[in-house]
Order: sequence, then C-alpha cells, then structure tokens
Amino acid sequence: MHKSPTIATALTILLVSIFLISCQKDSPSQGKLYLYNWTYYTPDAIVEQFEKETGIDVIIDNFASNEEMFAKVMAGGNEGYDIIFPSSDYTSIMIKLDLLEKLDHKKIPNLKYIDPLIKEKASYDRNMDYSVPYFMGSSGIAVDTSKAPEGYARDWSIFSDERMDGRMSMLDDMREVLGAALKHLGYSGNTTNEQELSQAKDLIVTEWKPNLVKFDSESFAKSFSRGEFWVSHCYPENVFAEIPKDQWDTIDFFIPPEGGMMYIDNMVIPKGAKNSEAAHAFINFIHNPKVYAQFLDEFSFPPTTNTTASKYMKNHSFAFTSEDMSNSDNIMDLGQDLEKYNTLWQIIRYEP
Amino acid sequence: MRKLLKPREREQMLGTAYAFPMGIWFTLFFTIPLGIIVLYSFLKRGLYGGVEWEFTLDAYKQMFNPSFGRVVIRTLWISVLATLGCILIAIPCGYAMAKSKYQTVLLFLIIIPFWTNSLIRIYAWISILSTEGFVNSLLIKLGLIDQGLKLIYNNGAVVLVLIYMYLPFAILPLFTTIDKFDFSLLDAARDLGASKLEAIIKVMFPNIKSGLSTAFIFTFIPIFGAYTVPLLVGGKDSTMIGNIIVDQVSKTRNWPLASAFSMVLTFISLVGVFWMLYNGKREQMQSKKTTQQSLEQNIKKHHLIRGEK
Repeated sequence: MHKSPTIATALTILLVSIFLISCQKDSPSQGKLYLYNWTYYTPDAIVEQFEKETGIDVIIDNFASNEEMFAKVMAGGNEGYDIIFPSSDYTSIMIKLDLLEKLDHKKIPNLKYIDPLIKEKASYDRNMDYSVPYFMGSSGIAVDTSKAPEGYARDWSIFSDERMDGRMSMLDDMREVLGAALKHLGYSGNTTNEQELSQAKDLIVTEWKPNLVKFDSESFAKSFSRGEFWVSHCYPENVFAEIPKDQWDTIDFFIPPEGGMMYIDNMVIPKGAKNSEAAHAFINFIHNPKVYAQFLDEFSFPPTTNTTASKYMKNHSFAFTSEDMSNSDNIMDLGQDLEKYNTLWQIIRYEP
Repeated sequence: MRKLLKPREREQMLGTAYAFPMGIWFTLFFTIPLGIIVLYSFLKRGLYGGVEWEFTLDAYKQMFNPSFGRVVIRTLWISVLATLGCILIAIPCGYAMAKSKYQTVLLFLIIIPFWTNSLIRIYAWISILSTEGFVNSLLIKLGLIDQGLKLIYNNGAVVLVLIYMYLPFAILPLFTTIDKFDFSLLDAARDLGASKLEAIIKVMFPNIKSGLSTAFIFTFIPIFGAYTVPLLVGGKDSTMIGNIIVDQVSKTRNWPLASAFSMVLTFISLVGVFWMLYNGKREQMQSKKTTQQSLEQNIKKHHLIRGEK
C-alpha cells in the first residue's frame, strides 16, 4: 500500500510552522542574554527583575570551577556566552590570551559605585578595561567555639595548636594553603621566590599538617556543622549555609590579621559575544546599589565590592568586612611559575 | 555459483551482524576517547590546560617521582587489602546463598543497595563512622568507651567503605560458580577421610577458580581507580591514583600527566582481564580433557588392552 504524498507534505508544513511560531515566541525583539556563572551565584529574583525591565531574555549556564569554565571557553564555547564570571587569576589569563572584549564605560555608569579598594587589589585590570568585579571575598578560618579550647590563637598559627589535633581541616587547594603559610611568614601570597616557598612548605609539613585531620574542599562545611571539625580553613558562605541562623554566634569566623588569600569574581564579555549591548546593560544593572543589595542579602555577603549598596541592605551582620582583607593578597595567575607551587604541593599532599 | 554456508558459519555471520551496533557504539564512545587519552599522554602540556602538538615523554617522566611513588604504593596496598576483604566475605556469602532455599530473595537483597546513589551511601558511612556518629555514640552508651574513637578520615575507613561498596561485585560471580558446583563431591571427600575444611579447600576451591578470578577482577580494577571514597572518608594521607588524575585535570591543568596516569590504570585493568581470559580458556581446555577426551581415551585404552588379550 502507498500512502498519498499529500498527507506527508501537509504534516511537514504543519511541523515547520509550529517550529517557526515557537521560535518567534522565544525571541522577543530585545534579544537574549547568555550568562555563564558559578553554580548558585545568580539570584533568580534579580534576573527576573532585569528581564521585566529590559525585555531581554536571560539564559544561565553554570560551572563549578574556573578550570571547567576555562576548558569550555578554550574549546570555542566563548561564542555562546555574553557574560562570563571568572575569578581574578582566570580573568588575567583571559586578558593575556586576548579572549575578552573591551568594555565601554559610557554604557556602565554604575561603575562609580565600585569600592576603590578593589581597584587596588585588581592589579590585572585596574581600570576595569575588560572586567567589572562581581564580588570580592576571601577564605578564612571558622572556629566552633562550643568545642574549641579557650585561648586559641586568632591567626594562622591556630593550626599549630596541638590541643585540637585531628580536629582541624584546611582547604585542598595549593594556592590557598601555601598562600596562608606565605602570609603567616610575612611574604606575598603570590611569591615566586623559591626560598620563601620552601619555608612555607616546611611550616605546613612540620607545624600544621600533623594537627590536621584532612585537606578538604568538598565536605568541610558539613563536617564542621556536625562538630567533627572544630577549626576549618574555609569559604565562610559554605559554612554559614550549613548552620542554622540561631547558632551563628557559636562560630568565630575571622580572616587572620597577617592576611590571607582572597578572590575577586568578575564579569567579563568574551570576544564574539552576540549581544554585547545587553551584556553592558546587565553589568550596569547589577551594580545599581538597590539591586546589588538584594544580591548581597541573598548570600549574607558583606558589601565589599559596591559599598553604596549597604544603605539598601536588610542584613547587617557579616562574617567579615573589606577592612579584614586589607592585608590579604588576591590570587594571581603565575604562568610558568605555578609549577613551583605544584611541586611543593605534591610533597605536602602525597608524602606522609 | 555461490558457496552455500554451513549452518555454523551462518550462525557466526548472524552473530557479527547482531554485534554490529554494539561494535559501533564501543568504537565511538570507548575506543576513540581512549585513543585520545593515549595521544594526550605523549603530548606537551599547555600552560593553561589542554595540550600542545609536540611529542614528548615528559608526562611519563614526571610520574617517576617519590611523591607519586608513595601514592601508587598506597593505592596498591589499599586495593589488595580491600579486594581480599571482599573475596573473604563473599565466599561464605556465595556458599550460603547457593545452599539457601531463598536464593531469589537473597540475590535481590544484594542488588538493592545499587538503587541508591553511591555518593549518598558514602555520606551514610560518614555519619556512621564520624566521631559523633552512630558507632561511637552506641559504644559510649554501652559504657565501653568514654571518648569518641577516631574511626573516620584514615586509611582503615577507606578500606572498610571500599569493601562495602564493591562486595556485591565479588558475591555475584562467586555465587554463580558455587551454585554450579556439585555438592555431592564434598560428601565424597568427607567419605574419603577429608575434614570439612579440607574438603572445601581441596575440592571446592579448585572447582570455583573461575568465579574467584572473576570476583578478583571485578573488585580489584574499580577499587584501584577509586576516587570518591578516599576523597570523602580518607584523611590527609589517603590520596589514591584516581585522586591524582582528578587533581591534574582540574587543579594543576596538566592533562598529559593525568592521561599518563589513566594509561597506568588502563594497563593494569588490561593485564587483569587478559589473566582472567587466559585462566578461563585453560580451565575450559582442562575440563574438556578431563570429562570427554580422557574418558574416551580411557575407554579406548581399556578396550584395546582387553582386545589385545
């Protein structure tokens, strides 16, 4: 039996027209904006507000690490995104490799709200030619005061405290841990001097590691909230997210006074972005102090980046402030010299 | 004229045709990615991840350093210990299951843990073993200890959880071979004066050798490449090869070195699989000889001798 061709043709026409109609529906005249951000780092409310005000459709894609993001960008994925949110070291790599579009400051008047301290720390792009800070934060030390013995040191030497042997964890991250030791010894957290680095390694191996239970970047917040770890070298937002608000006063979080390692997450527009106009509009929108205040409240972040936003914030108790970071060093890209850190880290991590 | 195919040949042709889609699938999604890993392991690392198209043996040279050596040795002893643990537990389990009236139920019980994601099961072990966990609070309640023992974040915990995770892979092949075993042989051995243990070791073990080697391969290979268990329940000195591979890709951006380590894992797995295949073949040959050929030969000999008489 032969089916008549007219039915097939009619079906095809129907399908094609459905496809075309649905396409039209998806793309309003203002176009689409593709974001590539860290997981849980883009508050929905803000995105919805932006969509409502501008009529631009925002599509968000997530990554879990800078390396993951960068691998995708290098594989040609940059063309699919209009704004990417890399940390400072990867921002500087992307600037060096000429992957980013120059920003038009005229389209981002809200840049005036950005804290001058950031410009001081962002040595890779002081004039914000290619990148606009999204958030400046830091790792630090969280202490469970209900468990820890009294009179613990409120600086990096806490990890030498034998009373808390087997109850302390540090991040499983070579730049963070070696950086902490370097800062404790009074050096730069981005040093490439081999002698300084080897002193830092010795400090970790002989003084700190014997008291640590493990190097943990995955589940430290859970272990800390369960009371398994008394002291954790951590990112505060992870720890506070695991612990109910009424117990926050039992946690002593601090950035050691000798300084630690900090980060700046940026917004950048990759070369080949299809909707640079909308990208500029979004960056400007984020730094509107009223909007930025919502972002900070969502994560209980302190107003480190856009200080004007603090006027509009509901939350006023923070784990740390900009001043706590004044001695901290921003994690910078070290190029070939990263191998020096890597060699020492292998000894720290793999040799008992 | 076209030669007519014998039924056996036709069957083989059909077999090849049936295997074709599977073959394409494996070539596309298994052999080619593996080829890429082999290729990358011989290339120069890119400064910011990826590779540069320049042949070098750097990755293999980098592997020979004392820090990595320790990790390889640690991985070996943890894997051997966990595999032996799995098999030692699996033999009596398989035996009991083969003898049991409720085989289907027991098989079902072995498979049930697979319904839960392995990560969730690892986190469950964390709450069991942690210092404020179930085991410690139970021991404290019973008055056996007054302070929580350090049961987690050490290599012992890694071995324990690995045994738990891979035990079913040892039980299933052992159960199937023990199930095929003729238990009357054990009675015969007892009749001939062997003790119960002797009968099991001297008569049953040689007959379930193929199950033992399959169980060994099925547990040893995945344990050797384990990554999440040492990461989550291990301590500061529990890094295994799997963790190095992840670190090299995601933290150090040294893809060639990660590929080279993957080659080591692949090579060890291949050796294991070939050993299993070789064992299986030899056993097949032996059993054929003993059962059919030798029987025929014996009969022939017997008849010939009688005939000559």
